[in-house]
Amino acid sequence: MDLTTALPVLLATAWLLPLGSFALIVLFGPWMGRRGVGAGYLATGAIVVSFVLSLIALLGWLSHHPIADAGHHAAETVEHGHEAAASHAAPAEALKPVAGDWYALGRFGSLAITIGYYIDSLTLVMFTMVTLVASCIHFYSFGYMHEELGIVTDPLVRKANGRLLKRKGRFHRFYQYLSLFCFSMLGLVISGNVAMVFIFWELVGICSYLLIGFYIERKSASNAANKAFIVNRVGDFGMLIGLMVLWSTLGTFSFGGIFEQVRPADAGHELIVPDGMVHAAAADEIEQITLTAATPEEANQAIETATPGWRNAGYGQWLLIIAGLGIFCGCVGKSAQFPLHVWLPDAMEGPTPVSALIHAATMVAAGVYLVGRFYPVFTPEVLLVIAYVGCITLFMAATIAITATDIKRVLAYSTVSQLGYMMLSLGVGGWLAGLFHLITHAFFKSLLFLGSGSVIHACHTNEMPEMGGLRKKMPWTAYTMLTGCLAISGAGIPLLWGLSGFHSKDSILAQLFSFRIQNSVHGNILFWAAAGGAAITACYMFRLWYLTFAGKPRNEHVAQHAHESPAAMVAPLVILAVMAAIAGWKVPFTNVGVDTLIGQSRPVGTELGVGANTAVAVMPAERLSHEKPIHNTVSWIAFFTALAGFLVATVFYGVRRLDPDDVRKTFGPVYTFLCRKWYFDELYQLIFIRPVMVISRAVAAIDKHGLDWLADNSARFVKWISRLDEWIDRLLVDGLVNQIARQTHRLGLALRAVQTGNIRQYVMAIAFCTVTLFVVITLYWSYIMAAGS
Amino acid sequence: MTFHSLIENALTDTLGPTLAGFRPELALCATIVVLLLSRMLMPRWKEGPFWITAAGAVAALWLAAPWSQLSGGMKTAESIFTGMLLHDTFSVYLRCLLFFFLLLFVLFTRSSGIPRDTHATEFFVLILGAILGMCLMVSANHILIVFLGIEMASVPSYVLAGMLRHERRGAEAALKYAIYGAGTAGIMLYGISLLAGALGSVHLPTMAAAVVDMFAHDQASSRYLVLILGGLMLMIGLGFKLSAVPFHFWAPDVFEGATAEVAGFLSIASKAAALGLLVRLVVVFGYTPNADDMVHLEPIRQYMTLMIAAAAAVTCTFGNLAAYGQTNMKRLLAYSTIAHAGYLMMPVAALSALIGTDLTAARAAAGSMLFYVAVYMFMNLGAFAVVAYVRNRSGSEEIDALSGLIRTSTGLAVCLAVVLFSLVGLPPLAGFAAKFAAFASVYQAGLVLLLVVGLANTVLSLFYYLRVVKVMMLGEPSRYRPAVIIPLASSAGMVCLLCTVPLLVWGVWWNGLYTWADAAASLLCK
Repeated sequence: MDLTTALPVLLATAWLLPLGSFALIVLFGPWMGRRGVGAGYLATGAIVVSFVLSLIALLGWLSHHPIADAGHHAAETVEHGHEAAASHAAPAEALKPVAGDWYALGRFGSLAITIGYYIDSLTLVMFTMVTLVASCIHFYSFGYMHEELGIVTDPLVRKANGRLLKRKGRFHRFYQYLSLFCFSMLGLVISGNVAMVFIFWELVGICSYLLIGFYIERKSASNAANKAFIVNRVGDFGMLIGLMVLWSTLGTFSFGGIFEQVRPADAGHELIVPDGMVHAAAADEIEQITLTAATPEEANQAIETATPGWRNAGYGQWLLIIAGLGIFCGCVGKSAQFPLHVWLPDAMEGPTPVSALIHAATMVAAGVYLVGRFYPVFTPEVLLVIAYVGCITLFMAATIAITATDIKRVLAYSTVSQLGYMMLSLGVGGWLAGLFHLITHAFFKSLLFLGSGSVIHACHTNEMPEMGGLRKKMPWTAYTMLTGCLAISGAGIPLLWGLSGFHSKDSILAQLFSFRIQNSVHGNILFWAAAGGAAITACYMFRLWYLTFAGKPRNEHVAQHAHESPAAMVAPLVILAVMAAIAGWKVPFTNVGVDTLIGQSRPVGTELGVGANTAVAVMPAERLSHEKPIHNTVSWIAFFTALAGFLVATVFYGVRRLDPDDVRKTFGPVYTFLCRKWYFDELYQLIFIRPVMVISRAVAAIDKHGLDWLADNSARFVKWISRLDEWIDRLLVDGLVNQIARQTHRLGLALRAVQTGNIRQYVMAIAFCTVTLFVVITLYWSYIMAAGS
Repeated sequence: MTFHSLIENALTDTLGPTLAGFRPELALCATIVVLLLSRMLMPRWKEGPFWITAAGAVAALWLAAPWSQLSGGMKTAESIFTGMLLHDTFSVYLRCLLFFFLLLFVLFTRSSGIPRDTHATEFFVLILGAILGMCLMVSANHILIVFLGIEMASVPSYVLAGMLRHERRGAEAALKYAIYGAGTAGIMLYGISLLAGALGSVHLPTMAAAVVDMFAHDQASSRYLVLILGGLMLMIGLGFKLSAVPFHFWAPDVFEGATAEVAGFLSIASKAAALGLLVRLVVVFGYTPNADDMVHLEPIRQYMTLMIAAAAAVTCTFGNLAAYGQTNMKRLLAYSTIAHAGYLMMPVAALSALIGTDLTAARAAAGSMLFYVAVYMFMNLGAFAVVAYVRNRSGSEEIDALSGLIRTSTGLAVCLAVVLFSLVGLPPLAGFAAKFAAFASVYQAGLVLLLVVGLANTVLSLFYYLRVVKVMMLGEPSRYRPAVIIPLASSAGMVCLLCTVPLLVWGVWWNGLYTWADAAASLLCK
């Protein structure tokens, strides 16, 4: 079977299986097996098959597009001249993505909404990663959600009578949402056009909403769900604007169509402002031409000739920037970037497997994925914005993570921070590094979350100060989590070997260093923030591990009840730990690895970097960061920063040479600042929520005291009105009418008196009226005449 | 100029344009002769007078040929009888309206049974005579013709008011009418002589030219008292025909005393003719084709506008107010007629105001008046017809006699309701279209006060018209009177339908009639 026909079929099957599972569970969930346990089997089966299919597709792709060995790569790295770039461009040309449409949803004028696909190695890697992590989490959930099979007593919800809430388990519903999420996430990855991306973008949002609010009875959970949903809508608003700009100027939603216009082949795949945007911006000039031209053909000719001039004059540039910023705005919301990061920590109210799958590995990475997908469209200005947003996010989130005590919140802020790394990397031209980190992060972060879930499952608390010394009780959890901690910290032997995070983080830092060489100001800020962030990452991760597993139990009660989790939970931990370790490695004796695989999908035209001839910033070619001097320097910097973080954590929490409380007291304000999460929630409370609440309360007050009062008193009011009405009626209307009637009657009588029927009087009346009129008119007339003259 | 050439000229004029323009009137004259002869020659032909009159009306209508004259067939106005009459689209329209009314009236009287056979010939001769006078009124171009026309229309009316009722009230009404008419006629004649003396002519355009001359040479100040008095007196004669307040006294008494048929005739035909004459006078004294002279006529126009507007406002208000307390249907309709005289004078006031500034708008004002007159003819005839039919059955003309009419004669009651609603001016009836057009021109003329009065009156009038409808729809049929059972499928019902259906049709589709009315107004200011 040909690859171009096989890939869509394989991936479509992998994509639709969870949908089928979802549909079946919706219809028959409660009756599947004992208390719906069959729903779990069904969903897990579906996602595992999806994983297998994805893997087959990936291998198929690899067999058709083998990756050149490292020698070629090195040679290319050494001679980074134009010839090399040209020779590099040639195979990229050959690796055309498999794109097409399955089904046309509808056509509205020139707007075609289709269900299409755009498959390249990035899609395949994402597919494999998502299905693998999802499979692990499906298995894991059998253990974690086991309680949901029976009657659940929610320890956090008290009813009005003070008793704890008891409710029926919702096991099948959990898997139902998971299946829907898998379907949506895969759909998002495979999407062949932006409209479809948006549809699935919203679908994953809905799944996230449903799963965060899984424990709907908990006020905090439903609030968190609302928060996540609402904050995401803010981002989506920007995304819609971006989509509108793209569609209205380019007339297409499909990735291929957009990229062709933004980086046309005849411009050497350089980023140019597409004709559509130039024309949209130069509407006035075009109107002039159309008005003056003799024929439409002539006008078109003139417009075509003038277009390059307009483009050089900067027409449409801002449209391209708005489109890019709009798309990125959606990614900011979804990937919890500053300033819309506030929803993600709260989203930890959901079950931990959900946090692992949706809020660590996949959905939140969708923003990064989309930025990677849309990479060809971003101008240097947009990329710089992305870089700064990422940088602020990573640093801020990392610092908050230091002081957090809720184990899941630490991980949540860590996630935000790592997503910031990815964005930063993409922003400074590290396309591959960013997406590579996305994949590795997915593994180690889901591992960490599942580990924390295991701990929570054992201790029934999220608070790390309550834990401690758990490594003896639950060794599997402890050491798999240690692997995760090492991976995220980027542990490894410099220049040689390391866990997955080592490879991906190194390449990010290397790209940043390369960027710093070309852009001194931006580069210094971004690089040192990122490097500092790396140190902080190591610090808070080991703080987490020490607090949870090392030392002596701080709460005997908790420690007593703690136990290792069942095999269903441990097995996924082990799988993910392995993946977290090796995801960055190459297959032995080849150059095949996640990074090189993703590298096959590098957008055409971005090999040489972005913005080489602009004043804004130069995003250097990623190739340059592999050069020895840069790479070596960065490796050592990364190593020492991570080591520093690790040592600080060890001194404070491992061997307890220093008391964190002393530091806390010494740096009181800073500590409070961090504890308060940089006061973001308070800030938003103050500038967004409070005003809205004030307004809504005012409206409610008006409603209650005005409208309700009106409603309450309406009867009285109506009665009063009717009395008034009656009074008016009687006195004024009736009175008036009666008065008129009476007066007319009287007048009639008077007239009857006049209308005596006495002819003598009639004749007298004629004479009298004539004379009177004459006098009146004469007087009036003389007055007029006098006034006139 | 020799005597011979004088005769020659007169002959050419008479045989040429005069006879052509005067043919309808001649047809009516011939009808009168035939009627009188038929009385002598065929005294047993009971139906004769109806048929002959109807044939005369049709012949006159045919000879007037509105379908060709009003559809662009007539390009210029012609003076006939060496300037005595003016033959133009305006006179064609109004005369045709009169002839058509005559035809309808014949049908109506035929079905209502009055006049009885013994009086039919005299009745129709008088009617025809009055119509002839009215035709002179609407074509008048000479102040003596004005007087002659008014008297020709009035004298038969005096007789008509009393001839069909052999009771005291009828005779009294006729006498009052005659004396009142004589009084106003005297005043008018006095006014005419004053004007003629002051202006040195009796030919209306010549008089107007004299006025222009007078104002142009600033000689007016010495004679304006005479002019004002003359003009006022002339207007009083017209006011009597229009039953404008305060010269309306005759109307209620006469309407109540005369039969419904005669009341209908008086309320419609003489109103139409009087309004036509009013418009003629306004145009003659308010307009000359010479733009320089137009300036000098400004005081005259102001005078006329003021007079007519004031008369319209007072008449309208008085008529509506006085209608409230009425219990007699004919009396109520008498006051309604007075009120409508007011409404009808409003566009004439607008015409007078607009004629100096905006000829298009002036034409529209005249057109709206002509449209209103036509609609009014149907409305009033319908109302009086129902009154007559109900009187025939129940023997009463009180409003109470209509009580519960909807149950006994549904069709008739609906027709009357439509007529009354149209009199109020409610859409989608022709009365609304007419009132709307009239008020629109009043607004255009800037006579805001008059407009307000008109609108307020429309509201006022609602009540007493609706009272009749209420009695008709919600009242119980009286047990002491014979039940009024008049199916629509009878000659009476047909006449009612004939008066009602146009109201419905024109209410929605008034273009056809309005095109004629507009054509009729087109030659006034040329």
